[in-house]
Amino acid sequence: MTGALPGVAPMAVPPGAFLVVATLLFAIGLAGALLKRNALSIFLSIELMLNAVNLLFLTYARMRGDLAGQMIVFFVIAVAAAEAAVGLAIFVALFRTHRTVDVDKIALLKW
Amino acid sequence: MPALSGELVVFGFASFLALAFALLMVVQKTPVRSVLSLVVTFFGLSVLAILLAAPFIAALQIFVYAGAILVLFLFVIMLLNLKEETADKDDRPVQRTLGLLVALALGGLLAGATLRAPVPPRGPLTGPRIPMPDEIPALGRLLFSDYLFAFEVLSLLLLVAAVGALLLSKRRFE
Amino acid sequence: MSPALATALEGAAKIAFVWGVVLGAVLPNLIWVERRMAGLIQDRPGPNRVGPFGLLQAIADILKMFMKEDVVPMYADRLLHTIAPLILLVPAMTTFAVIPFGSSIHLFGRDIPLVIADVNIGILYVFALTSIGIYGLVLAGWASNNKFALMGGLRSSAQVISYELAMGIAAISVLLAAGSLRLTKVVEYQASGTFLGFLPLWNCFPQALGCMIFVVSAFAETNRLPFDLPEAEAELVAGYHTEYSAFRFGMFFMAEYLNLIAASAMMATLYFGGWSLPGLHPTGILGGVISIAVFAAKTGFFIFLFVWVRWTLPRFRFDQLMNLGWKVFLPLSLLNLIVTGALVLWGVV
Repeated sequence: MTGALPGVAPMAVPPGAFLVVATLLFAIGLAGALLKRNALSIFLSIELMLNAVNLLFLTYARMRGDLAGQMIVFFVIAVAAAEAAVGLAIFVALFRTHRTVDVDKIALLKW
Repeated sequence: MPALSGELVVFGFASFLALAFALLMVVQKTPVRSVLSLVVTFFGLSVLAILLAAPFIAALQIFVYAGAILVLFLFVIMLLNLKEETADKDDRPVQRTLGLLVALALGGLLAGATLRAPVPPRGPLTGPRIPMPDEIPALGRLLFSDYLFAFEVLSLLLLVAAVGALLLSKRRFE
Repeated sequence: MSPALATALEGAAKIAFVWGVVLGAVLPNLIWVERRMAGLIQDRPGPNRVGPFGLLQAIADILKMFMKEDVVPMYADRLLHTIAPLILLVPAMTTFAVIPFGSSIHLFGRDIPLVIADVNIGILYVFALTSIGIYGLVLAGWASNNKFALMGGLRSSAQVISYELAMGIAAISVLLAAGSLRLTKVVEYQASGTFLGFLPLWNCFPQALGCMIFVVSAFAETNRLPFDLPEAEAELVAGYHTEYSAFRFGMFFMAEYLNLIAASAMMATLYFGGWSLPGLHPTGILGGVISIAVFAAKTGFFIFLFVWVRWTLPRFRFDQLMNLGWKVFLPLSLLNLIVTGALVLWGVV
């Protein structure tokens, strides 16, 4: 896996390294989403997973020499912003009734 | 073994920063420190984006993600006055250990699959060729030609998100 | 000498020059200028005991900062309390990296543009750094374990976020006219022609509305009067830096002044032609020196404006401040964007 395509400038850092870093970040984010109890911490881990995927898109865009990958990342960042706003509003509303954002405690459909 | 160049050193430093602080984020008990660790991770990712010939995305990452979205997180954490996670009777240790194993296994599997995947095919490019010295005009042209519909839907989405967030967090006086 | 080494030396020389001038010459004199001008406006002498005309007042202040006792409140989060001033200081210092302080000079057989880092995302880089400074404000308030500090921190960060939006859209209008985010291109664009035949093509003439919005938003971004409610002495003790003393307070102080200098430099670069003067085409080393002097004069004028306004105008109330930012400046900056777009389309600008 050299990522060398004719017509594209070679990368000084091997692209496999970027892919490994992105995958590790994704795994760390997944671990955080599964392990944490605080709903906001879970949300932060999900944001980390989104960013790991962004890094993957950027690496493949650079390997293919294609600008469209960066366009996709632009959209992912904007959608993540919208999602963060709504998600946090949901957590605030949840906190108002349950007085906690611990996901282990918010375990019943009706309190 | 690639030759030691400035780019390699910067890559090593930035990826170490990103990975170390991502781990810290998962390990921290206080939500405020988690957010700050994630900010440093995003800085590392931003530097990696610059190495991948995407300076505009790097600036957006800091400006939008680290500088606006995570600030929103911080505000909500302060509003709800969230303290440390403490162990109590509702803990589920078995589920947590299983979760950790699943995450590690999935991480290894994904890393192996990604590295073994073939080089992306030499199909037709869907956008202008990078790296280029100034890709911002090209991005702008792409946004308003090929991705125009997605752009308009995105602005509608942001409007809906803003209105929705406002409505969801309104205090109901009953 | 290999090209890599030459580039590194060139960068190091530029960094040393910029930091030497800003930290060594501008900052101490700014402290003195602020306090003497305050005295002048308020009909009193101002500091005049330390050195001739009180010129060594800054050194006395800095010595005082080092000597005072450093107090950290008891239940405060020590780590956050320590890093909050750093988070505010570092972006303030690194903003200077992209601002062109002169035209390019030809030295030792190389063309050296007088800017430390000519990145193609110049304007966006400055705004990204400003948004990092928000963390310093919020954390300073949160980590002090003090209600007044928390209120001050939250108000300050809400203010910065609100005015960052209008400022960003005003800067987008500049991007529209200049065709690039690169600050050297923005200055070259402004030096390249005339507007309506007799005015220089500085962005303050066709985009007067955007210029005004940017200037006023810069006051809000740097927490200067009339927008300094977060530090209001009469209402919030000292806002987000209540629980800071000695050198950490000195860091907040320095960060505020560095932000001020950076904001003045940005205003001069984006709207008033940077290092260019109409009719002046700098070449060679003498031209480079003249362009640095022109840039310094323009930045100096804006610094003077900042200090003058501080001691002249009363303070805004917080709801008036937010009202102005969201309901007045945001629509006006969008209007400015549309008008600039029309002007660019018709080839006037």
